[in-house]
Amino acid sequence: MEPLKLEHVFKQYGEKTAVNKVSLKVGEGEIYGLLGANGAGKTTTMRMVLGLIYPDGGDILYHGKPYHKELTQQMGYLPEERGLYPKVKISDQIIYLARLRGMSYQDADKSLRYWLDRFEVPEYYNKRIEELSKGNQQKMGFIAAIVHKPQILILDEAFSGLDPVNVELLKATVKELRDEGTSILFSTHRMEHVEELCREIAILHRGNTIVQGKIKEIKNRYPREEVILYTSGQINGLESIPGVSSVENVEQGYHIRMDTPEAAQKILHHAMAQGTVERFEIKEPTLNQIFIQEVGESHE
Amino acid sequence: MYGSQPEIAAELTEYAAKSGLKDYTFVKYEGTDEAQPKKDIQDDKIKGYLRFEGSNAGGVGFPKVVFTGNEDGMSQGLNTYLQSALQNVKTIIVTKNSLSSEQIAALNAPIQMDTLKITSEGKSEAGGTTEKEKMQKAMSYVVVYFLLFLFFSSNMMTGNMIAAEVTSEKSSRIMEILITSVSPLKQMFGKIIGMFLVGITQIAVFGIVILGNLLMPQNIDKLNEYQLSLSDIDTSLLMYGFLFYILGYFLYAVLFAAVGSLVSRTEDLGQAIMPVTMLSLATFYIGIFSMNTPNSMLIKVTSFIPFTAPTAMLVRIGMNAIPVWQIFLSLIILILSIGVFGWLATKIYRTGVLMYGKRPSIKEIRKAMKAYKI
Repeated sequence: MEPLKLEHVFKQYGEKTAVNKVSLKVGEGEIYGLLGANGAGKTTTMRMVLGLIYPDGGDILYHGKPYHKELTQQMGYLPEERGLYPKVKISDQIIYLARLRGMSYQDADKSLRYWLDRFEVPEYYNKRIEELSKGNQQKMGFIAAIVHKPQILILDEAFSGLDPVNVELLKATVKELRDEGTSILFSTHRMEHVEELCREIAILHRGNTIVQGKIKEIKNRYPREEVILYTSGQINGLESIPGVSSVENVEQGYHIRMDTPEAAQKILHHAMAQGTVERFEIKEPTLNQIFIQEVGESHE
Repeated sequence: MYGSQPEIAAELTEYAAKSGLKDYTFVKYEGTDEAQPKKDIQDDKIKGYLRFEGSNAGGVGFPKVVFTGNEDGMSQGLNTYLQSALQNVKTIIVTKNSLSSEQIAALNAPIQMDTLKITSEGKSEAGGTTEKEKMQKAMSYVVVYFLLFLFFSSNMMTGNMIAAEVTSEKSSRIMEILITSVSPLKQMFGKIIGMFLVGITQIAVFGIVILGNLLMPQNIDKLNEYQLSLSDIDTSLLMYGFLFYILGYFLYAVLFAAVGSLVSRTEDLGQAIMPVTMLSLATFYIGIFSMNTPNSMLIKVTSFIPFTAPTAMLVRIGMNAIPVWQIFLSLIILILSIGVFGWLATKIYRTGVLMYGKRPSIKEIRKAMKAYKI
């Protein structure tokens, strides 16, 4: 039984369809990526999962059961914008929020101190949110979302506004939570995070699911169109190989785009005939490319 | 300057001597030239001067009087004094010695008026005839006045705080986390009750300060001077006042919470709570202006309308003897409407706290409200 399962979830605001029949499953210890441009319906979907708003159609099941009150203790949520009181002491409000979700004071305090130490900021215990930088506020919001050890964690743009060091720190934490068995629903428009963290994704566009499935399978569905070729000497005549659409000269070699995947082998043979090949790679399409291709296309 | 009217001037000086005028003295200026008194005013020698215009300007056999004073103008006390002094002088002048001094005294004496009330049982009840009852009446007046102010200011303060808190929680998105942790009903009433305790604490502080002040020796003397004593305070009035305050608070608090939940940004809040503010202002002024007419139709009607009942009923209880069943009817109406508006407010709240962007229209709210089971 999946911790979280959405079946044909549908939500309408007036005439506008915000989420159109989205179905997805998040297994235990799995991170599910929800991608989409702004206004694609990511946040609406997450709010429905949280029970903040009700879907107009479809079902959301938690361990096979519909929404029920006890779920608040099992779910953690990091909203896109802060989501903490700016003028209240961090320890006060995070412990308060943890207790609202059914933790005892002692446990909440212990858990908060653990996470503050973990993020190497134990001195924030007595600080106020407004005293912190935006990135650190985000970290505190993250702690507030996970302090009660939720089984289902919902992260809306968790890494926005963070510097690379903190992104790595949070990423490591998210992976750790995943390995401990937490089901994570994760939204972003930064593709590189998704590729690293998620097994399955859904790309939403204006409420519709346009691409969905395991990242590997999705990538296999798209042709491999780019070859990186580094050689010791110059290679001539790459353009004339059938199937090659363009060749770009870079410092150590060439970036070649192809119309047909079969052209890759021909390029390799061609290059080996002329000199020493130092590097040859058929690049699989990045999610970024797939995203732009799908969302960009349907824009027109 | 009495030059043109020596007769009036003489009587005025005499009256001043008779009535024991302490703070001022009359000084005579000869002639009708105003340059000299004007200069004296500038030199601070005199406070002002009186000029009499024509011998019969008003057609009442007495000249029109013009007071010219320094930049402070005429004080209330001087005005009252001159009014009565001139009234006296006028009586003497107009009657031209045709009346005896006893008759004049009789004319000038204030009219004695007592009020009697016929209660529904047909008993005639002396209203404020005894000194004691008069004092109780005065004390009730003070208490009602005070309670009205307290009710109004405390309500406005706490109400605005509720609305502002809801809006700021909404704009900082902590609302999303709170709503996923506790039910909106619990959250809203938690806030309202918390704010209620703040209000009560404020009132307690006010009460203690006032009581402390009244018990200071010099203030007790002052009260005794006006023949007011704290023991004259009607405790049942205080009790009712408090009861109506609490109920009124909850009624307005749910409204403020509902309105606060509809606004996304603190800047828009003032505009949004305007109707509620207006309502409570109306409530306050109906109470204040009706204190002297506690039997008017306006206050009778408004004492049964839940929004205005807390003040209107308080005025009626304090200023008038009213049947107990009316008080309880008003209380029951108030409690029922708290229930109704509380329910409505929770629905609006549940919907409102998650609506961002522009202020939703009534139609949108109604549509969205149907979607939630609270």
